[in-house]
Formats: sequence, structure tokens, C-alpha cells
Amino acid sequence: MTMRSRNRRPAVFVLAALGLGLAAAVLHAAVGCDLNDPDRDVKRLFPGSTGYKTLYVSISRKGGGDLLQKIEARLGDRFAGLFETADVPYTMYEVYQGPDLIGYIHGVNQKGTYGALQVFLALDLQGVIKGFYFQKLTSKAAKAFRDPAFGGQFIGLSLEDFYKYDVVSGTEEPSGRISRIRNPEPAAERDFRAALRATKKNLVLVDEFLLGNPHLKFFKG
Amino acid sequence: MKKLSLFEVSYKSLLRKKTRSVLTILGIAMAAWVLVSLFGFNRGYEASLNKDIDNLGFQMLVVAKGCPYEAATLMLKGGTGLKYMNETIAAAVAAEPEVEGVTPMLMQVVFDPNKGESGGLAAYLGVDPVSFPKMKSVLPFKAGGWFTEPEAAEAVFGYEAAELEQREVGDLYLIPEKEVEVKVVGVLERTGTQDDGTIFLPIKTVQRIFGIRELTSIGVKVKKEADMKAFEDKLYRLPDVQVVSLSQVKTTIMTLVSTARVMVFSIALIAILIALMGVVNTVLMSVMERRQEIGILKSMGAMASDVFRLVWLETIILCVSGGLIGTGLALLTARLTDILVRGLLPFSPSGGLVSIDAGLVLAALGAVTAIGLASGIYPSWKAARMRPLDTIRSEVES
Repeated sequence: MTMRSRNRRPAVFVLAALGLGLAAAVLHAAVGCDLNDPDRDVKRLFPGSTGYKTLYVSISRKGGGDLLQKIEARLGDRFAGLFETADVPYTMYEVYQGPDLIGYIHGVNQKGTYGALQVFLALDLQGVIKGFYFQKLTSKAAKAFRDPAFGGQFIGLSLEDFYKYDVVSGTEEPSGRISRIRNPEPAAERDFRAALRATKKNLVLVDEFLLGNPHLKFFKG
Repeated sequence: MKKLSLFEVSYKSLLRKKTRSVLTILGIAMAAWVLVSLFGFNRGYEASLNKDIDNLGFQMLVVAKGCPYEAATLMLKGGTGLKYMNETIAAAVAAEPEVEGVTPMLMQVVFDPNKGESGGLAAYLGVDPVSFPKMKSVLPFKAGGWFTEPEAAEAVFGYEAAELEQREVGDLYLIPEKEVEVKVVGVLERTGTQDDGTIFLPIKTVQRIFGIRELTSIGVKVKKEADMKAFEDKLYRLPDVQVVSLSQVKTTIMTLVSTARVMVFSIALIAILIALMGVVNTVLMSVMERRQEIGILKSMGAMASDVFRLVWLETIILCVSGGLIGTGLALLTARLTDILVRGLLPFSPSGGLVSIDAGLVLAALGAVTAIGLASGIYPSWKAARMRPLDTIRSEVES
């Protein structure tokens, strides 16, 4: 114990922290939802892909309050809480096979019972779901929700189907393909509904920002 | 009555050369302005810096030897490598006379299999609900507040932790692996420090959930008058602890500030010397121009001391007027100086950078008056020792 290991790093660390403190006073961007490992994840979701392009968009930049209202109307619910705001930056991935665009990947954050859900969708060029998965999920029923069988129920659905689903009441009128999605853990009904709301929000945003609103004609607001 | 008449004579003498007197007063005012602003900056900057360092909470962190003391290192180590120390060490540190307060902490990490594709780590910092908020009294809350009970199943989220988990006050949060629910009672504002990514729980709650009665670190707030270096050495005598001292940061910043301050004070000194020379020059010129007048005064019975006082009073009037205008300007432009200095400095602490109080104003006025008294001695002495016949004869000859 005669040797004293005095760490000089704290000085640098705290100086950096003070500097970052100043920077943080300026930067207040909300957190987005990126793929943890885009190279790996894009390949996994689109096995034939050869590349991808990353796009960053936000409601506040694209259209502000008016656009937010339109998106809320299409979702059937208000954006709520501290973190679901118009300035959330959305990270959208265009997936390519050679020079050809073959699909899109997009994820959104959604408030769950015990924490955040990060719902990612892989979509074809018409906005039909080809893949569904939770990148992050804090739930007592996490295991059941992350089971590929649960995500598999979303494949083939599009915003046309989800327009019939009311994210507030959790019902579909008339009963259709969304009603057939089975909740794997009835005790986790709130997280199940959160997953459906996240999926609908995700599809609305992709339709608005990437597809040029081809599904708007199905919207009966 | 005599003093008043002397003042009147001095005052009228200055009025006879208005432009010269005004320019001299302005020169002194500028020097006083610079002087007060610089001393105000010196005080304000140091006070704000001290406040910012105080706001970091504690100046020293005692950690178990080898234990990662911040979340980033802990994550780099894959959540392993936590070392513990006995709770009694906190009491031992608190008993030292240099200590103002201590706050014990316990960090714990769990593996969350549902974070990403292959899972991730989640870290929790157990803090004492009484001592920690006192030390981190400036941690601003976006919503809610600290824990309601020492052993409550409650959590306070740093801004980014809350954003990542989409948690708000009143929400529940599940600690993975342990499957324990806690209620979110507070969300902090963004601070730009590692507090942003931290999830705080009461230390006893963390000890209960994880079944550990020990600590990973102790935050130590040292009394202002204490010798940090000597105290740090003393802490190293405790068995198996490592001391992380923020005093190094303060020393580094203050060294940089001191270097800049010496340069700036040198400039101020030059400004004051120039002003002083201006006063000497003005009064001396005035004396030389009034040789005949002084000679007549003396031939009419004025003593050398009367002439000395008369000229000295002129100098004092010039200096006091300049000093009053300069300090007034410094007070009026303090905010502007603050903005300008803030724009020039690479790092400036939060809070006011220029602090001017009554003490500083009085000290500056005293200093300027003293300078006036000193600079007036030579011209006054020169005037006092003029011989009446010589001065009258020189005027006749010229």
C-alpha cells in the first residue's frame, strides 16, 4: 500500500464535462431511434441488400405544427408526454440492392408500461411490413413480445390495415387483420397496445416522409 | 470659510481651461473604469467559478481502490469490476475536521437482455436521500423531485435516461434481471454531465434490491478553508481507497485565469500611470501659466503652504471627479462588460462574471484619490517654492 496511484484523468474528465455543459446548454435535440448496428441490421432485415442510405427528418423541420396535426389525425391520437414531440429526429434507412431501392427500415420510440419500446419495421416499396422487431423493450412480458412468432403477425400489414385500428381504444372497426394479432401475454395489455400504436405511428411517418403519402387515400379522418 | 474659498479658487482655476480639465478628468475616468471593471471581473469570475465547482456537488470522491467511479468506465469494463468498501469508511471520512459533508453512494449494474439484439447494461446509482440532494442542490428538476422516503421504491432519472426509457413522473420502471418495479418521482433537466444518463435510487433501496450492504464511492465536500492537498494525502492513509479530487480542476482553471489576470492588471497599471502623468502634466502646466498670479498671491501675504494646498486641491478635484465618473461608468456598463468578456473567453462559468459592490467602488475611489494626492505633490511643491519677485519679473521680461 505504499504506492499511490493518483489518477490525473479526473481533471481532464471534469474539464471536458464543464465544456460539454456549455455545449449541452445549446443542444436540446430530442433523442431519435437509430439501428444499433446498421450494417448488420440492414443485412439481417434485407438479406439481398448491398447498401443503404440514412435520412434524418423531423416533423418540425418538414412542416411544423400543421404537419404535426395532420400526423396526429392520421394516427388517431395526440403526441403526448415529454418525449413524443415534433422535434424528435427520425432516422430512416433506404435499402438498396445495387442501384435499386428495395425497401425501407424505420424505428420509433414508444412509451411502455415500464420503459421504452423501440419498434422497428422493415418495409417494401409500397409500405407493406416485411419485418417487425423490438430493438429495445422494457416489459415483464419482454420474452413473449420478442418471440419471432409475435413479430411475424405483422408481416404483410400496411397502413391501410392500421387506419381501421383506433390506438386510443385499442379496437378495430370493422374487425380485420389487426384484430387477429394475438397478445402473447394478456397481463401486458398496455405494452401490447403500445406496440400496435408504435407500429401505426411508424407507418404514418414512413408514408409521410418516404413514400409520398400513397396511403392517404385510405384515411377516413 | 477659508477652506471653502480655497476650494472656490481651485475650482475656478480649473474652469479657466475647461477643455484641458475635462480631458484630464476623462483620462482619469477611463483609468478608474478599467480598474473597477477589472477588479469586478476578478471577483465575479472567481466567485462564479467557485460556485460552479461547488455545484458539481463534492470536490472529492473516495472510491474503493480499482473501482470504476463513473458510468462510462463501468460500461467499458462490461459492467464488471465493481469494488466495495465498508460503510464505516463514510463515517471515518465525515469525522475529519476538513470535511463539510459526505454522501455515500452505491453503483450497481444489471444485464438487460432486451436492450438491443444481444442485450446491454443498465446502471443504477444508489444515493442518500438526505445528503446527496444537499450536495447537488443545484441539480434542476424538469419535473418532480427527490425521493419521498429513505427506502422508497422510487427513482429519479437524468434527462437522457428518462428520454431513452420514455419515463415521466408517475411512471413505473422495471429494473431488469431483478424484476423490481420502481416509481419515477423526478426527471432532471439536462446538465451536460454524466448525471444526464444516470438513474438514481435511494441507497438503501439499491442495497436491499441487490443484497449489498457496502458502498462503491463516497462524495466528500471539503470546507473552503481546508488544504485540499493535505487532506487528500490524509485520505490516502485509509485502507484500500482511491481519491479522485476535483481540486486539480480548480487549480488548473485558476492558474489559467491568474495568468490572464496578470496581463490584464499590467495593462490597467499602464493606464493608471498614463492618467497620473496626464494629471501631473495638466497641473504643472497650469502652475507655469499662473506664475505671475502665484507671485502676486505670495506678495499679498499668501504662505507657501496656502499655495501648496491650492494647487493640491486642484489635483484632488480632477482625480475625485474622474474617479466618480469612472466608477459610475463601470457600474453602468457592468452587464455589457460581462457579455463582452463572456464572448472573448474560451470558458466562462455560469453566473455573473463582473461583481462590483460598494466596497470595490469605495476602494477604487480611495485609490484614485490617493493617486491624485501623490501626483499633485510635485506641481504643488513647485508652485509653493516660487519666489514672488522672480515670477513677477519673469512676466515683465517676457
